[in-house]
Amino acid sequence: MRIIAKTLFAVFIIGLAFRPAFADETHEAKMFVASLGDNAIKVLARSELPKEERTNEFRRILTTGFDMHLIGRYVLGRYWRRASPVERSEYSALFQEFIVLTYANQLSQYDGQTLKIKTAREDGEADVIVRTEIIQAGGPPIRVDWRVRSKDETFKIIDVVVEGISMVITQRDQFASVIERAGGKVESLLVELRTRTQ
Amino acid sequence: MPLTKSPFSIGKRFRLVGVLAVSLLLSACASTTAGNEEAPGNGDPLEGLNRMVFSINLAADFVIVRPVAELYRTVIPAPGRKAVVAFLRNLESPVVLANDILQGNIPRAGNTTARFLINSTLGLAGIFDVAAKMGFPRHSEDFGQTLGVWGMGEGFYLVLPAFGPSSLRDAFGLGVDYYMDPLRYWAKDTDQERLMLARTAVRGIDARARSIETLDEIERSSIDFYATVRSLYRQQRQSEIHNGEVPSLPVLPDFSLDDPDDDETALLSDD
Repeated sequence: MRIIAKTLFAVFIIGLAFRPAFADETHEAKMFVASLGDNAIKVLARSELPKEERTNEFRRILTTGFDMHLIGRYVLGRYWRRASPVERSEYSALFQEFIVLTYANQLSQYDGQTLKIKTAREDGEADVIVRTEIIQAGGPPIRVDWRVRSKDETFKIIDVVVEGISMVITQRDQFASVIERAGGKVESLLVELRTRTQ
Repeated sequence: MPLTKSPFSIGKRFRLVGVLAVSLLLSACASTTAGNEEAPGNGDPLEGLNRMVFSINLAADFVIVRPVAELYRTVIPAPGRKAVVAFLRNLESPVVLANDILQGNIPRAGNTTARFLINSTLGLAGIFDVAAKMGFPRHSEDFGQTLGVWGMGEGFYLVLPAFGPSSLRDAFGLGVDYYMDPLRYWAKDTDQERLMLARTAVRGIDARARSIETLDEIERSSIDFYATVRSLYRQQRQSEIHNGEVPSLPVLPDFSLDDPDDDETALLSDD
């Protein structure tokens, strides 16, 4: 009994010792999302920017704040393994450009929204989920959760979940469907991505 | 990208109910395998048929629903549309309350009751959602969600004519909600069943009017619109079942970037 009690006590103490570290991590993740949001809004608010420059700015934010390579692999899911090295590298490049072009257009409809950081919590071993709300005039706030992974002392976003809808899962389901309907050929997806990123 | 609930829904529930009763028997079998929304494969055994119904719905949307929704949005000013939707939502309160209770969610049941009492009186028969301003925010519930809370999976994906994206579970839930609705019995007794139909139609048009830009954007940015909508529908339902509190995002394993074989990727396959 005494050994059990001692072990429990030790675990408790170790737990206490680790808590501040966790708290720091979630706090830093919040700061990271907040500063990324600020940067994005700064760009978006400059409505005088020509479309091309705006897209370039968006591309820059995306490549610095998001782990696009990891996201791309997760989106391709089980088909990543089936893809040849050549297909993989072409896919990674096309995927990033596809996302840039898809979302840059949506963000061009910016109308004074602000990002409000709510809470953050650990998720799994490596991730922090930062919950935020996009505050907009004339509408209810939009719930946005950011999945942030820390790696080599830096943070990278690996998923964005809007009102319970994950960008990664949505794209993964869509890509899987495209490939499956073409009899499992990754090339079929590449063809689509090439057309859409031209 | 705010998503409006059931963007495609408009139509009638009546004829579906018989079909759905049979479906429940099937879903009882299906539910055992699909307890977790991630069914093996794509969980869409009727994909061929579903894609066909989806195309028909899109065509009907293009020809009728969308133009009517646009007209509705042009003719009736925003405050008017807000009153319409508030009034119709208030009428749905008994069904929402029943589902709150069936889910054992007492705080939400209290909230729904308070909303109904406040909006029916101070809100002038429901045309103003004053309860929301008094700290009683609206939430949606339906029997499909209740079954989800009880642990039933979606069965399989289903595209309903007129109603749009659904599943075996949710289509059955639609039928149950219809039979739970006190308004239906009132309409039947007073021989005004057309009102029920009108209500469903207006609800559908209103929902469509609120989702015009969103759906356009989704369609424009999709490679496979059908698969995208299927994914969005499932995620949205999952989020609703958990009342917005998504327990945990799916695991994203870390990849070792220098390992070209990527055996870890095996973890990602969803079958």
